[in-house]
Amino acid sequence: METTHLRIARLSEEDAAFDPAFADADAERLLAVAPFKDMSLPADQLRRILQNHCRVRRFRSGEIVVRSGDYGSSAFLVLSGSVRVVLQPGLPESMLGRREARQRSIWRVIAQLWSSSAEPEVRKPAALAPIVGSTISEAGEVRVFLQDVPRILSQHKTATLGEGEFFGEIAALSRMPRTASIFAESGEVELLEVRWQGLKALLADQKFQHRIDDLYRKNVLSSALRAIPLFQHLSEAQHEVLKSRVEFGTFGSYGWSGEYKKLAQKGTLNPEIEQLIAGQNTAAAGLFIVRSGFARLTRSFGAGQRTLNYLGAGQIFGLREVLHNWLRRGTETPLLLYQGTLRALGYTHTLFVPREVLEELVLPGLPPALRPAAFTAEELAEDDEDPSLDLGAQQPGIGPEMMEFLTANRIFNGTATMAIDLDRCTRCDDCVRACAATHGNNPRFLRHGPSSGRIQIAQACMHCVDPVCMIGCPTGAIHRDSRRGNVVINQATCIGCSTCSNQCPYEAIRMVEVRNAKGAFVTDESLKPILKATKCDLCLEQYGGPACERACPHDALRRIDMTSLDRFARWINP
Amino acid sequence: MSAHLWIRRLSRTGVLLVAILALVWVWRHFVPSLRHLAYFTGWALLGLMIFLTLYNARKKLPFLPLGSSRLWLQLHVYLGYFSAALFLAHVSWRLPQGGFEITLALLFVIVAGSGVVGLWWSRYVPGRLTSRGGEVLYERIPLIRRALQDRAEALALESVTTGHTTTIADFYSTQLADFFRGPRNFSQHLFAGDQPLNQLRARMEDLGRFLTPEQKQRLDELGALVQQKDSLDHQYALQSSLKWWLFVHIPLTYSLLLATGLHLILVHGFSLGATTR
Repeated sequence: METTHLRIARLSEEDAAFDPAFADADAERLLAVAPFKDMSLPADQLRRILQNHCRVRRFRSGEIVVRSGDYGSSAFLVLSGSVRVVLQPGLPESMLGRREARQRSIWRVIAQLWSSSAEPEVRKPAALAPIVGSTISEAGEVRVFLQDVPRILSQHKTATLGEGEFFGEIAALSRMPRTASIFAESGEVELLEVRWQGLKALLADQKFQHRIDDLYRKNVLSSALRAIPLFQHLSEAQHEVLKSRVEFGTFGSYGWSGEYKKLAQKGTLNPEIEQLIAGQNTAAAGLFIVRSGFARLTRSFGAGQRTLNYLGAGQIFGLREVLHNWLRRGTETPLLLYQGTLRALGYTHTLFVPREVLEELVLPGLPPALRPAAFTAEELAEDDEDPSLDLGAQQPGIGPEMMEFLTANRIFNGTATMAIDLDRCTRCDDCVRACAATHGNNPRFLRHGPSSGRIQIAQACMHCVDPVCMIGCPTGAIHRDSRRGNVVINQATCIGCSTCSNQCPYEAIRMVEVRNAKGAFVTDESLKPILKATKCDLCLEQYGGPACERACPHDALRRIDMTSLDRFARWINP
Repeated sequence: MSAHLWIRRLSRTGVLLVAILALVWVWRHFVPSLRHLAYFTGWALLGLMIFLTLYNARKKLPFLPLGSSRLWLQLHVYLGYFSAALFLAHVSWRLPQGGFEITLALLFVIVAGSGVVGLWWSRYVPGRLTSRGGEVLYERIPLIRRALQDRAEALALESVTTGHTTTIADFYSTQLADFFRGPRNFSQHLFAGDQPLNQLRARMEDLGRFLTPEQKQRLDELGALVQQKDSLDHQYALQSSLKWWLFVHIPLTYSLLLATGLHLILVHGFSLGATTR
């Protein structure tokens, strides 16, 4: 039998260009301006980066370019005109085109007794109406214009960025939220938006790398280092030296959630596929500080790696080994190697302080309270595979199986993870009913999910430290609430693109077809139903915290911050 | 259970015992002097019963800031025990007399008894569900059962078309078809009995001796489905029991309240001038 194959052209980087309409002339024009004209990268390579990963955007006076709290994956270069950075105080949510979630009045809370519709996913017209001052472009991007700019300038501390200046690169590269809102100042501002893939490619240029590093050191590193207790005893001069010698590192995959979902479905997740940051039994070259994201601390066990803990922002690795060697300086004791392995879980941004810097600046004056105990002879004489060896990060009360489970399922990411103790849970579903009752008869989670022993992690939004769902939201509809930091979805600006739902590694976001008060589907002009993303909002508008937790009669359900396992350990070991 | 939990539970039980002893002391010392003590204990009991019933209302209003369900349950349990002591004081520690009194007392005993048994069951069963594994949402059980039945039927039919023999199909229709049709062995699952599953396994093992290796493999696959169905029945039986005891406890609570209302009317309507203890 003759087989007919469907032939299609193989996709290339050009086919997925950031701006398909990006013209050659645009690239030529950009190559002639700073910083591109000064770059040492071959012109062809540079042109390709510009064509594939950049787009020129124009903003009118008062239009917001980036909003504080958004998770942007691109940086901007001012091509013409100027922009204003709002430093202090930040702009209120309403000005940023967001609908601020407010706690309901007690009357509105009581009115839920009779006002909830019997139909699912009913939205009142006001909830779907556009927010004053904002529009959604045809490309699905939200455009927000500030009202009364002179008043903003008089009431807020601002700074101007002019032609040739970069902004937004830290948030794009380290995947941290934007720290300030920036708006177009002059009549028409022309910006070059560079997505993170392009930014990474541009970093191959030494000069550009130095420029970004300098910006990072100037704007972020100083305050970041001062916040770490380990460095708080340093003098101003020592701080400057430390700042200049710290090295940055990014490990893992930026779009880790998609990759993780695929591997988890295949059941082929294992620590070895995660990018190595520092290996067990390699020279203890210095101290790693996790700046954002997470890292897995493992120790070899049998033919594999056993997870001892996961490290989140601010946690360190390698200090005990470096200190051990420093205390034995001048003796003939062989240098101690790293006693564990550190790997990137997802996308991890680290700071590395070389051993020499620690020995010269940090260790001599380190307060005893911050000084970890040196390894004892007994500890080092123990089996190389001993999982109980304290590397300064272990969690008491959490067994190795549980630690493996929490790490393999990336549960550490949650600040309000829904954990269910199945030995106490009577499966009464009071939690589900309470959730539905507080959300217009629509439950916002599934009492189902992965489990280890008696602990189940339900499919409910965990309000992640690293909310990958926010990456790529074209309108910024999914954002962190300014009051409590919960991840919430603005129904008015959600365009139903499903990006957040597809990104979420925990299947906690659901797309629903919304209805009006009469129960009829809300449709667009072509009669296609309007989709909205929905998920747990931690009962932000209600009194007393999450209804699910308050509804459990047996203390079988808790919303727990898993970035630090103390509360979890106390709960499972009452 | 940790020492901390033991201490907490013991201290609450201690407070309850002190309250019951105080009640007994009050009853013994004031019965001779207070002619209408039964009115006091009766009204107190009614108030307590209404408060205990409000727990169900609290569950229906999760959006109101009325305190956590956990706190309500603790109050419900300990005040429930105290209400039993108050009930005994109200009936003067003797058996009720007359049809209506007996009905009322029986209703109280069943409501209180179902509460105690339900509480114990709610503490005992979850651990059994977890240790057996195969966690499943109650509402999805019929769906999963149907899928298992379809797969088992398909296996039996395949054995006819590929093996040219009806041995497995006959076994399925006589021994397994009914098993897969709906929830089975409810009481055995409730009381942790494995006998029905072991019997089925033994019959399948017997049959295996007469099959070719290919047919034996098909029978093993069928055996795996039987195991899954049994786990599903286990989940169904235990999860159902966790829900169904409330269908005794709650409706009878409302019946008790209604009967108590009638009791109140009778007492106040027909006891004018009577000396009541």
